Amino acid sequence: MSEIPKEARFMGAVTAQNMHEMQNILAIIRESAGLMGDILKVNSRVDFKHKPNMERTLENITFQVDRGKGLLDATSRLAHTPDADLLESCDLTAYSKTLAQLADRYVRLKGAALTLTAPPNALPVSMGALQVLMSGYRALQWAVGTGTKEGVLRVDLAGGTDFHVLTICPPDGVSPDPDGVTALGAMLAPGRVEWDGSRLRLFFPVQS
Amino acid sequence: MDKNTWNILLVDDEVDFIVTLAERLELRGVNPRVVHDGESALKAVADNVPQVIVLDVMMPGMKGIEVLQKVKSEHPDVQVILLTGQGKTRDGIEGMRHGAFAYLTKPLDLEELIRTINEAINPPEGIPHV
Repeated sequence: MSEIPKEARFMGAVTAQNMHEMQNILAIIRESAGLMGDILKVNSRVDFKHKPNMERTLENITFQVDRGKGLLDATSRLAHTPDADLLESCDLTAYSKTLAQLADRYVRLKGAALTLTAPPNALPVSMGALQVLMSGYRALQWAVGTGTKEGVLRVDLAGGTDFHVLTICPPDGVSPDPDGVTALGAMLAPGRVEWDGSRLRLFFPVQS
Repeated sequence: MDKNTWNILLVDDEVDFIVTLAERLELRGVNPRVVHDGESALKAVADNVPQVIVLDVMMPGMKGIEVLQKVKSEHPDVQVILLTGQGKTRDGIEGMRHGAFAYLTKPLDLEELIRTINEAINPPEGIPHV
């Protein structure tokens, strides 16, 4: 996976540039909404007919900016995965969070909710960030199944000695196709995959 | 030290962003100067050495890291807070290696920015300026 196709590098570079522009746009929206909120506070004694609507709208803008910030962060990280310093190793903790953000919409469209628990510390692995995201995303798609099923897709990250392990528990009632495990294993090499019928475990080699 | 005595320089080529940020700081008693590129930042520092510079990393022309290096070489006491992009934490880490006080990501949390400026100007006891 250390050889990234030039097409992927191109897409990453252009996306990263434009994510930077998006970040500036969000920053301007947030500061503008913030300034309006500040002005309302300074003039808190002044009442006018639509004041509650305005306050609620400003709260909505701030909430949506925060939501956009999360997506922007994850997309920007994805766009930077072809960068030279992320080809051979990365922090599995950071990229598990990125994975959860990137897959959240897909999982929700399947009717499920994704939860992630991860340790606070970095977990370096000897695997590139793009491979981590690709294999992890594919594993989440596999685990959530092909049909719509309400439930929780639980993801837990734990550090280990030789391997850090991402455990994925499909929503109750979802039975992923066991044949898909072989393909997942090929994507994860030199890591490996284990499926015990109720949980999928992805083993990422610890960076020595 | 009261906020209204802070000597702050804001540097960002995104005019709407940095001017609005300055207005919000003014409402909180801080009166920053604002410039929009690296060269103007160096001139502003030469005219009146600030205590803290809030500096965007990614600007056309002279990049933030270059501005940081030039400022720290001539005025090591000036504290620099970098503004970096999402997913670009390595810019922040590189900046820290060159002597930045901290790095924050856009969109900013204003209260976090003010807290960080305050820590840069009034470091907690036992934590000397870098």
